[in-house]
Amino acid sequence: MPAAPLPEFSSSVKLKYVKLGYQYLVNNFLTFLLVPFMAVLAVELVRLGPDEIITLWRSLHLDLVEILCMAFLIVFVSTVYFMSRPRPVYLVDYACFKPPNTCRVPFATFMEHTRLIYSDPKSVQFQTRILERSGLGEETCLPPANHYIPPNPTMEASRAEAQFVIFSAIDDLIKKTGVKPKDIDILVVNCSLFSPTPSLSAMIVNKYKLRSNIRSFNLSGMGCSAGLLSIDLARDLLQVHSNSNALVISTEIITPNFYSGNQRAMLLPNCLFRMGAAAILLSNRPREARRAKYRLVHVVRTHKGADDRAYRCIYEEEDAEGYSGISLSKDLMAIAGEALKSNITTIGPLVLPVSEQLLFFFTLVGRKLINMKWKPYIPDFKLAFEHFCIHAGGRAVIDELQKNLQLSPEHVEASRMTLHRFGNTSSSSLWYELSYIESKGRMRRGDRVWQIGFGSGFKCNSAVWKCIRTIKTPVDGPWADCIHRYPVHIPEVVKL
Amino acid sequence: MTAGGRRVTVYAKSTAVSGTPVRPGKTYPLSSLDHLMGRHTLHLVFYYRPGPTLDRDGLKESLSEVLSHYPAATGRLSRGEDGGWIVKCNDAGVRLLDARANVTLEEWLGSASAEEEMELAYWEPMGDDPSIWSPYYIQITEFEDKAFAIGLSCTHMHADPTCATLLVRAWADSHRRACIAYAPFLHPPAFLPRPDPRPSHPLLSLKSSSAPFASNSKMSSATFRFSDLAVKSLLADLQPDASPFSALAALFWSRIARAAGVPPGPGELTLVVDVRKRMHAPLPHGFYGNALHFSRARADLAAGVAHVVDELGRHVAGLPEDEVWAAAEWAHERRHRGEEAFQMYGPELTCFALDHLMAYGAAFEKEGEGGRPAHVSYRVGGAEGEGLVVVLPAAEEGAARTVMVTLPEEVAKTICRDDAILRYGPTVMFAGRV
Repeated sequence: MPAAPLPEFSSSVKLKYVKLGYQYLVNNFLTFLLVPFMAVLAVELVRLGPDEIITLWRSLHLDLVEILCMAFLIVFVSTVYFMSRPRPVYLVDYACFKPPNTCRVPFATFMEHTRLIYSDPKSVQFQTRILERSGLGEETCLPPANHYIPPNPTMEASRAEAQFVIFSAIDDLIKKTGVKPKDIDILVVNCSLFSPTPSLSAMIVNKYKLRSNIRSFNLSGMGCSAGLLSIDLARDLLQVHSNSNALVISTEIITPNFYSGNQRAMLLPNCLFRMGAAAILLSNRPREARRAKYRLVHVVRTHKGADDRAYRCIYEEEDAEGYSGISLSKDLMAIAGEALKSNITTIGPLVLPVSEQLLFFFTLVGRKLINMKWKPYIPDFKLAFEHFCIHAGGRAVIDELQKNLQLSPEHVEASRMTLHRFGNTSSSSLWYELSYIESKGRMRRGDRVWQIGFGSGFKCNSAVWKCIRTIKTPVDGPWADCIHRYPVHIPEVVKL
Repeated sequence: MTAGGRRVTVYAKSTAVSGTPVRPGKTYPLSSLDHLMGRHTLHLVFYYRPGPTLDRDGLKESLSEVLSHYPAATGRLSRGEDGGWIVKCNDAGVRLLDARANVTLEEWLGSASAEEEMELAYWEPMGDDPSIWSPYYIQITEFEDKAFAIGLSCTHMHADPTCATLLVRAWADSHRRACIAYAPFLHPPAFLPRPDPRPSHPLLSLKSSSAPFASNSKMSSATFRFSDLAVKSLLADLQPDASPFSALAALFWSRIARAAGVPPGPGELTLVVDVRKRMHAPLPHGFYGNALHFSRARADLAAGVAHVVDELGRHVAGLPEDEVWAAAEWAHERRHRGEEAFQMYGPELTCFALDHLMAYGAAFEKEGEGGRPAHVSYRVGGAEGEGLVVVLPAAEEGAARTVMVTLPEEVAKTICRDDAILRYGPTVMFAGRV
């Protein structure tokens, strides 16, 4: 090895060890304090000898009443402590919808349909460019109604898609967990763009004959981050109702939202959104703790709607010709970056180890008081989490987050591969990504997972889960038949 | 013809894709024999009686599965470097039409005309842009009594009747969850010229150089279903040890010549035979593409039908392989000269031997006879002129045959009333103008 690079290498190694040493010192500071203290105490006790200890005890002159009071106080304090702790919320299991091969949309078919349906060649060109750079693969699926030339978005077709995806996911979940429909106490469904009457939650109650005193909620219009909102709502309800099961369904129904106009800002969802659904079973029953996969640690919600730009960034409207579609503004990525920063600022203190928090605090103080030009310190979230599930909203979103959080390609692999295999399935994409990580055998007991969702509003929501049971492969899920082919290399541009 | 509007409505058009993605970058060059058929199209209709597993969604699912085996069928045509056609296997899929008919199957088979039958096999000719044009159109028509008709239209460049039939048969096998009996075999070098090519094809040379046929008379079509007993009695009358094809071809040739006013005497008939199994190194049944040979048979019509039967039988049995190779080489040379396709079926009277087809084995239902097609029709588009006689298998086993004729209107009318043919009691179906 030539002499010139060697100093860099050795200096970076030295820096790495310094960082490691700093982290160990600060994160285990209390242990380091406690150990000498315990040692000194032990030495003292040994020195005193048993007789002296008994004499010391007798000199306190404690009689029965005082001992009883102290015992009572201890019991009282511990009871208050245990009762006021929030109920743990367990994720027993979840199931994702696996689309059938007949609904597959190869690039060539998509482009052909686009050319046959759209009159404006510029729209066709634009969609071609989007698809080439999208990061999607050849196996993503659209609902049957979108395969027609031209697509046929009737209400009946939308309901049919909803029934197909939701009931498949719930049937899978029931098979995996053995939960009986009568045991479900809370039902939360989120689907942003399709909201019929009776609601999708009523549809589920009807199909599975759920109890008449079920607490059901149907969230619509809340965008792609609504999955984590539903989890948050279920968690809050599980704090109020003890010994309950909550079924959360996250989905997006594509059928009614095919945009047939020519506005470029509204053509993106056509190219990226695909069929998907996830059914999640949460519980606060103590006996579920034995077989649950994850425990919910934190949910952090950030809403930037107060800012007009953020509010109008993903906006559903009609274009000049009367076709309705979802318009995405050009500064979407900038707004997403800001929302993420807000969310990180809130979640950082909850999850980051003390070492990172101190560094961040000192850098912040330094920037304010000493020199504005110091680079802001980006905390290393890789120390707080083993796995990251970033909403597969599009290649740009994943790239942006990878850059902002300084993640390695392995950390964003689940997101990229989910985008490739399933497309942007909106709120359920986080669950497909989690399933990917499990199917690869990477989920061990004690691992922490960070799910980040973005959506219209503009909202950025995070959920933190802790794995409480190592998950063995093979995992029965949407990746079962293709996990051996992943990860794949996704080229920057696929020439169509 | 029926009064009061159409009985078949096509209500949706979509694209059926294969279940597994095609490996990117795959191409399949069409052979020279394929290029020859550029002017023609093929239209097949398979009729099925109602059955427990016969429903539209199930059919679409099994179609997806079977398309995974046919990457050439789901591709798109584009011009290659030498100006010829190649198929880019880009996984685009085949067009699928959904239709319904407001009659029952029996009513339809009893009363539909030739023109109506064409409504069961939707077809769109290639427009300006072959890259978004599907070479295959599959139509699934549901009858009132839940019977189905599966219509397949394709360009003759992609497939000959054997190939198209085996695609439907593979679909049926896949639907029944059986393994595909005659898997497709893609082998572009099958008809490449021999090391010392001897190209020659007098018939086709003549056809290609003659002026295109200017048709001023409309064509009509009719289907004759001969039962096993009928064909046996025909053979007994003519030539007991001849093949049913020779007997029927001879019968129809002599009757058509008479009806068209051709003076009795020595005549010639163009015969089209499938050469997959006639080569020294036979091609598998599933060979994808065209493997047809056009040749001229001679017989003296004045000497009686029995004599014609003999001549035809001898011609078909004795087809030399050399001729097939010479024809392929002639086609190859012609393609390299960059010349356009010309009319192959016609304008002279042509007879097509298709009774080897395994069409009636394409059963979508599992058990018994119920799954086999009630009837199968074949038509060739672009066969104007003196007409085309196609000898096909029939639903009944044994010597039963179906003969479909496409003739000038007047001749067709005469043939439908011809005593010599009606003597054998055929069921006449789908008569009328095309």
